[in-house]
Amino acid sequence: MTTNHTDLLSLCEQGVDAALAAGADEAEVYASSTSETTVGLEKNDLHQVRCVSETTFGLRVIREGSIGFATSNQPDSLSAAAQEAVALAKVAPPDSLNGLPGPATLAPAASAVDPALLELDAGKLAPMAMTLLREALGRDARLTIDTGAVSVEENHRAIVSSKGVRAAFHDAAAGGYLFGMCVEGDAVGSFSYDGDQVRRADSLREALSVAFARFVDKCAGALHPTEGESFRGSIVLPPETVHEFLLGNLLGAMNANAVRTGQSPLGDRLGDAVAHPSFSLTEAGTGLPGFALSPFDREGQPRQATPLISNGVLTDFLYNAYEARAAERDSNGHAAGGPTSQPSVGAACLAVAPGVDTIAGLQSLDQGVVVTRFSGSTNAATGDFSGVVKGGFLIRDGEQSPIDETTLAGNLYDCLKSISGISQETRRIQGTTEVPWIRIDDVSITAG
Amino acid sequence: MLQILSDVIRDYDGFVELRYHAKTHQSLRVAQGRLESSTVRHRNGVGVRVLEGGTWGFASTGECSPSAIRTAVEQARVGARASAACRKVRIDSLPAVTLARGEFASPGVEDVLARTLEEKVALALEIEARARGASQHVPSATCSYNEIYERKSIVTTDGAAASFQLVRPEFRVSVVAERSGERSSAMESIGVTGGWDCLFRASPEAMADKAVGDAVDLLSARHPEGGRSTVILSPSIVGLLVHEAVGHTVEADFVLSGSVAAGKLGTRVASDLVTLCDSGRSAYADGAGGTIPVDDEGVPAEETVIIDQGMLSSYLHNRETAAHFGVAPTGNARAWEYSDEPLVRMRNTYIRPGESSLEELIATTEDGYLLDGPRNGQADATGEFMFGVQKAHRIKKGKLGELVRGVTLTGKAFDVLQTVDGVTREFQWDLGSGHCGKGQPAKVDAGGPYIRCQAVLGGHQA
Repeated sequence: MTTNHTDLLSLCEQGVDAALAAGADEAEVYASSTSETTVGLEKNDLHQVRCVSETTFGLRVIREGSIGFATSNQPDSLSAAAQEAVALAKVAPPDSLNGLPGPATLAPAASAVDPALLELDAGKLAPMAMTLLREALGRDARLTIDTGAVSVEENHRAIVSSKGVRAAFHDAAAGGYLFGMCVEGDAVGSFSYDGDQVRRADSLREALSVAFARFVDKCAGALHPTEGESFRGSIVLPPETVHEFLLGNLLGAMNANAVRTGQSPLGDRLGDAVAHPSFSLTEAGTGLPGFALSPFDREGQPRQATPLISNGVLTDFLYNAYEARAAERDSNGHAAGGPTSQPSVGAACLAVAPGVDTIAGLQSLDQGVVVTRFSGSTNAATGDFSGVVKGGFLIRDGEQSPIDETTLAGNLYDCLKSISGISQETRRIQGTTEVPWIRIDDVSITAG
Repeated sequence: MLQILSDVIRDYDGFVELRYHAKTHQSLRVAQGRLESSTVRHRNGVGVRVLEGGTWGFASTGECSPSAIRTAVEQARVGARASAACRKVRIDSLPAVTLARGEFASPGVEDVLARTLEEKVALALEIEARARGASQHVPSATCSYNEIYERKSIVTTDGAAASFQLVRPEFRVSVVAERSGERSSAMESIGVTGGWDCLFRASPEAMADKAVGDAVDLLSARHPEGGRSTVILSPSIVGLLVHEAVGHTVEADFVLSGSVAAGKLGTRVASDLVTLCDSGRSAYADGAGGTIPVDDEGVPAEETVIIDQGMLSSYLHNRETAAHFGVAPTGNARAWEYSDEPLVRMRNTYIRPGESSLEELIATTEDGYLLDGPRNGQADATGEFMFGVQKAHRIKKGKLGELVRGVTLTGKAFDVLQTVDGVTREFQWDLGSGHCGKGQPAKVDAGGPYIRCQAVLGGHQA
């Protein structure tokens, strides 16, 4: 059972009062109450039902220009946490830029709770999970599932501060994933995973069925790889790889904290062309259609849709209140995190604009590699990356064959400029990211 | 709490496991002279697992009263009953084993808890400033300190009744260097189970100086050519290899799903110079970051020999997988928080030292690389791995040569271990900072001696 809005807001208010009483000049409490039921799958079978619920709060205080933060899952220890946060502030050096943001007008919250989702208990989820598992196993006899899950989660979130911020949000989501590989005789394929997350009960089964079918195809395609080829050439990134590799690393450099602390190679590139003109990336603010997010960020500020790269030109960074103050501008509502950590900076939902190419057209190459998954290392300070292609395919005269022990090396920012195609078709990932397929030229590919 | 859990569990038949877990996580991070964050996090509660109808039910409560624990037991039972009919292969029983009872001591707790926050903040500020001021080519540095202090009590209906506390401090310095538009970065980090002396076996000043030196040196380093090479792996890279590429594939739950180690018990998977172990103890050197006296099922966490002189000799087990294989549990069931169920996880994984020296290995290498400092690492069900390496030195005709950058190492673990032809006497734990991820995080450590083998380096094609 979750704690409702009213009780959670009341908990936050008590925390603010306790912090002020303990000596804080300013105080903010962010709290969440979460309830989750998960049907866990393991070794091609049902493994366990897990039912957990928890109320957690995070208390941020400012005292004489210094910050302290304490968090706990024990609501009856508010006063102790408040004293601990103030004690932390007392030993922290002051910073004139420290300060909590004031209240701001929030957009009306879109509905994020389907009552039918909240009716999904273990007795309903377990048969659904097993049906989906049987469907996946039935698609390829060589498939073996290591782990998987089907779950439903309900969340209440609330924030109150001594500066007048007061907001709450209620959402529910259901989803699932499979993780496994294909095995045939002594041959073991590269592992793969896929899943999805939805806001509506009536779309859960279909969404997972589609994701799990994709998972089976990836596992089957990775079996019996052969040695690849060494060359400089094109790589084709499916949406999951665009999300995990390209966006995952790029966003680190678009974080205003990385810019301020000198760790972002894009820090002085605002207004410059940093990518091919066909590439546009936006932080989508309060969520993509059908998957609403709270109208406020981790500091109670309005989430704003923020174009980050438009037609290849770097247009903005992601800010929370502190970073905005340091940059002498307003926050654009990208304070990230939950009650267990101080607000950081990050993206909540992303959209890469679709292009004009077909997926088949992107893969129509004399020589290239489809990077189904990239297991590698990217240097955040430079953008240099190197790593191995997982479950990938060599393209030779338009034909694809699975490969292993093939590594890629290059530079992320060079890659952005070397984009040579973006698909019209996009895929929604976990409800919060919409990405197309992307082809990049002139990457170093080395076969083992 | 041990007494409360023991009193509650008397009310139950069948298999019930109660685990109290109180965790305090203190962290602070300094960048550019500013204390970016200073946080203390408390998370306490009781995780409850039941085996009913041949399947598992799990529930947890942040409230640690007997009535709240009983409610969680009932929730876990309801979940198990609701799903039992869906399970194909039922768990009849868990293997009989001598379960841990009593209080277990762990070193360093009093030492670390006695250190004041002021001392830790001052140290992080000083070391960050030292790193940033050490070279005109270092525009940016960060320093962070993390500390996990945890207390656990584990009680089961079949006899476990154990308690322990431990502390795991961690220290990290990261540096970005820049010259004429060229950038590089380097990091030094350590994480231990134990006290201050253990954490700072190298002084924090020396860690900062080394990170700066590496980052600046890497500015003028070239990229490697790539391809199959002879490589000498430092203890930190050996740690990555044995943890990521071997350890995960011998976790028995993964074996049952078809990992590359399935069906290979008793077969040769490495050269006979390789004996590879996983242990809850800190063998050969103090302070290994994954040290535990007892696992989260109440099984003593003893040493398990995974590869014995090249032959695969054991998997890593929890009680369920041990029952399946008909062997004794190895004490590898671990949960990250009270609200997490125990999974098969590694603890401290290592290759036993050999008889060579690093100098001998370098002197007898005609053409190869010495690799040191992991950036990250991942591996596959196939045992294929990818490790990012901070720095690599070329070796030509038995001499260390130029520094190269942007190196990744890949190969298939058992194939690579078959090529090991040199193992040194030196031993070091060097993977104790950060976390291993497998659905839940876990504090682990890994290490060993220097080893020489054959693997594939990622490189740049002209």
